[in-house]
Amino acid sequence: MTARPVRPPRAAVFLLSRRLPDELREAILGDLEETFFEEIVSTRGARAARAWYWKQTLRMLLTVRPGADAAHEPGFTKQGDPAMLMLLSDLRFAIRMLARRPAFSALAILTLAIGIGASTAIFSVVDPVLFRALPYPAGDRIMTVWEREKTGEKSTVGYATYSDFAHDNKSFSAIAALGQWQPTMSGTSEPERLDGQRVTHSFFQVLGVKPALGRDFYREEDVPGAARVVVLSDGLWRRRFGGDATLVGKQITLDGIPFTVVGIMPADFDNVLNPTAKLWSPLRYDVSLPQACRSCRHLRAIGRLKPGTSPAAGERDLTQISVNLVRAYPKDYTAPGVIVTPMHEEMAQAVRPALLAVLAAVAFLLVISCANVASLLLARAAQRESEFAVRIALGAGRRRVLGQLLTESVLLAFIGGACGIAVANGGVNLLLRLSPNDMPRLDAIGLDARVLVFAIAITAVAGIASGIAPAMLSARGGLHGAIKRGGHRVGGARRARNVLVVSEIALALVLLVGTGLLLRSLTHLLAVKPGLDPSNMLTMEVQVTGPKYRSDTVSRAFFDDALGRVRALPGVEQAGLVSQLPLGGNIDSYGIHIELHPNPNPADDMSADRYMVTAGYLEAMRIPLLRGRAITASDNIDAPPVLLINETFAKRGWPGEDPIGQRVRIGDPVKSPWRTIVGIVGDVHHVSLDAPLSNQVYMHESQWPWAEGAMILAVRTRGDPSSMTTAARNAVWSVDKNQPILHVATMEQVLATSAARRRFALTLFEMFAVVALVLAGAGIYGVLSGTVAERAREIGIRAALGATRSDILKLVVRQGLSLAITGITLGAIAAFALKRLIAGLLFDTQPADPITFGSVIAVLFTVALVACAVPAWRAAQLDPVRALRAE
Amino acid sequence: MSTSLGEFEQLVLLALMRLGDEAYGVTVQRELAKRGKREVSLATVYTTLVRLEAKGLVNSRLGDPTPQRGGRRKKHYALDVAGRDALTDSLRTIRKMARGLDTAWDA
Repeated sequence: MTARPVRPPRAAVFLLSRRLPDELREAILGDLEETFFEEIVSTRGARAARAWYWKQTLRMLLTVRPGADAAHEPGFTKQGDPAMLMLLSDLRFAIRMLARRPAFSALAILTLAIGIGASTAIFSVVDPVLFRALPYPAGDRIMTVWEREKTGEKSTVGYATYSDFAHDNKSFSAIAALGQWQPTMSGTSEPERLDGQRVTHSFFQVLGVKPALGRDFYREEDVPGAARVVVLSDGLWRRRFGGDATLVGKQITLDGIPFTVVGIMPADFDNVLNPTAKLWSPLRYDVSLPQACRSCRHLRAIGRLKPGTSPAAGERDLTQISVNLVRAYPKDYTAPGVIVTPMHEEMAQAVRPALLAVLAAVAFLLVISCANVASLLLARAAQRESEFAVRIALGAGRRRVLGQLLTESVLLAFIGGACGIAVANGGVNLLLRLSPNDMPRLDAIGLDARVLVFAIAITAVAGIASGIAPAMLSARGGLHGAIKRGGHRVGGARRARNVLVVSEIALALVLLVGTGLLLRSLTHLLAVKPGLDPSNMLTMEVQVTGPKYRSDTVSRAFFDDALGRVRALPGVEQAGLVSQLPLGGNIDSYGIHIELHPNPNPADDMSADRYMVTAGYLEAMRIPLLRGRAITASDNIDAPPVLLINETFAKRGWPGEDPIGQRVRIGDPVKSPWRTIVGIVGDVHHVSLDAPLSNQVYMHESQWPWAEGAMILAVRTRGDPSSMTTAARNAVWSVDKNQPILHVATMEQVLATSAARRRFALTLFEMFAVVALVLAGAGIYGVLSGTVAERAREIGIRAALGATRSDILKLVVRQGLSLAITGITLGAIAAFALKRLIAGLLFDTQPADPITFGSVIAVLFTVALVACAVPAWRAAQLDPVRALRAE
Repeated sequence: MSTSLGEFEQLVLLALMRLGDEAYGVTVQRELAKRGKREVSLATVYTTLVRLEAKGLVNSRLGDPTPQRGGRRKKHYALDVAGRDALTDSLRTIRKMARGLDTAWDA
């Protein structure tokens, strides 16, 4: 027994008390309640009893019917609004009609449930990203602010520039700068690496959100040497501190340093720009710091526009400041310019093409399912033609018949919609699992009120859309304009079904073409050689944290020791450490100043991805050494600084020259040491397989001014790499068990993750296309079966007059294939016209790829042929004598 | 003038007779299930009771509220004289029609 007292469902009781006639209301409600309690006590439990109550309620509501004379009508009467009574009577009749043909109803409901469910699930993902405003007050005024490169590209900003923007602008009520922060929290339980942000004191003002507990940052806390304070997310606060409200004002330990907790963010705070960040601390910069320099452009900037100021006006304002800055500090900027974009746009930008394509695909699917149900209803309407003819003959108005039929289709749609919401619920979970990891606003995805309203709206539309054609045709005075059966039946209904089937085929073709193009893109993408050998490769990030590792010597010793122990493991062929993993999502790039080709403005020099490596890393990854020599352990802190460059950089930086023996400076164009190129290695795809190749430089990690706080351990194993995970982790922990290890993955998994956005779109297209194909096939089958049944007499006569079985077979197949060919032709035209929608998602594949079009057409044609086969065979088996006698 | 009764109406009237003072929606439904092996919904029971009342074959009165009914009163039904006559008529007709045929079933 549950502790909560069990009661009859309140909504049901309410409905009944509204609908039951006065003289029976009390008796019936009492009877139901009495039985309700006995049902629970005696047998089935609260849940079943509630279901039982609802069932009784529905029965009861259907029994209350319009009609003047209770003695001659079954049921009992209730005075009421005639329109309402009419609707109830239509509804009751509709339920009976659907119940009488369970197979038909189930098929229609299932079809609609798939269409509505898939649309709803996709909408729930797309809505927060594309359509809903940012989850901040007046979120449309929040902008991202970028410096503009000479090339017109966006660039992050330097602190000094940000500071000038913040002080001199007239258009923003606040501007904030933010940087990455990954502190390790210790002290309470085991140490944990957290994702956070270092932000200027104005950050939460820009977002317009205040902590739920405690306070926002003070300006005085955002200067060098200020006391260290931190604001925590609600999730982190609950998880690590059990939601202890007295935590505010207390200290926690981050990276071995005490921080005072000053605030806790509200539970519904959604950090759109960096959803994984769970704590925030002031940046504590001023312009005197070396890392605050104008060319040290490592901060993101966001700003809140003043009310009534347009993004363009904000951009003009900041651009004017930038022009003045370039004049004052010409060596620090490549070109003047600022880019201001709404944060909402910025967030959606990366995923918008994929989401729009998927949304279009699911809309097609919904249309196909409606067309399919419409086709089913038409077939049904044809069988019920005499019913309608009789009704009209007896004086039923067309509107009455129309209303009855629409009630049926809308009822179907609503049952389908209810099942569709269940489908959507499962679909959302699937989508969350499929979603690429850079998908914004994952937390906001779910079946909320907006999504349910959407589902109900499309359900209503689907109900009307699938019912309108059959209803209109029937209401026009019988489908074939006659009560008498037999005769020729080439009516509006058949034509309408043909149109529906043709459009189903056409839409299915468009979906299939989309799927084919995405599939080929992914195949092409995965065929791109990453530049390293991902097989038998285990990777994991090893971090150093805690006061003792503040010494570079100690950190380096730890990494060396850990690497040595991993290499000694049986099953390990080779291992190395690297500061950033190709395709691992990191970007660490530095300006490279070539001795031979100095630029008047060093800010114009090329930049390159910087990899700090140990000896053995390139060998472990099997990145080939093309010329020169590799980096060895003897390229240490005491040896002259050297580097390797990749082939692409060699061509771009030293066109027609031999880069080996040449010198470069990395980072600071004046103060950093000259480094000599000793070798050229193969190119590696760093950002993604489909991005252009970048410049790359490799240096021994001991030859950099500071030690890395985190290195990626790359292990080439003899067998299955994932089976080495525990051994490798234990080897690292045998040096110091307090150091976090994260992002454990085989290199093949890293590669797959980097293609996740494409796979996301492709998987959905695949699912939709399969359903579309099945529905289109079912549509052809349905139409042809209907025709064969309707034309039985004609076929019988033909057979009697000497038509052979193969003649009849051809007759039916010809009809089916002509539908298929029309649909395929229209679909191909539509797919061609819509190619722009998907072009942005393709890689190395033409939107009009003939192979894709060809194979899709072949697939669809085959399905059409199979769908024709059964009805055609049935027609050929028709016994002419029986077909004629049946009339 | 006697009113002809449907089969289900006969069953409901018989149930009312059996139940006497205890005849109301739930008990009629239960009696039909127990003795008549008819699982019918309450809506069906009331449909028939309302029709029988409209035909003047049964009458109804409100009873006492009980807590397990959420404080609602029962509506008790009982056979009217006309109802008793109609039931007697139709049972007599059936008996007449069936007389002498018993052996046919037994065989």
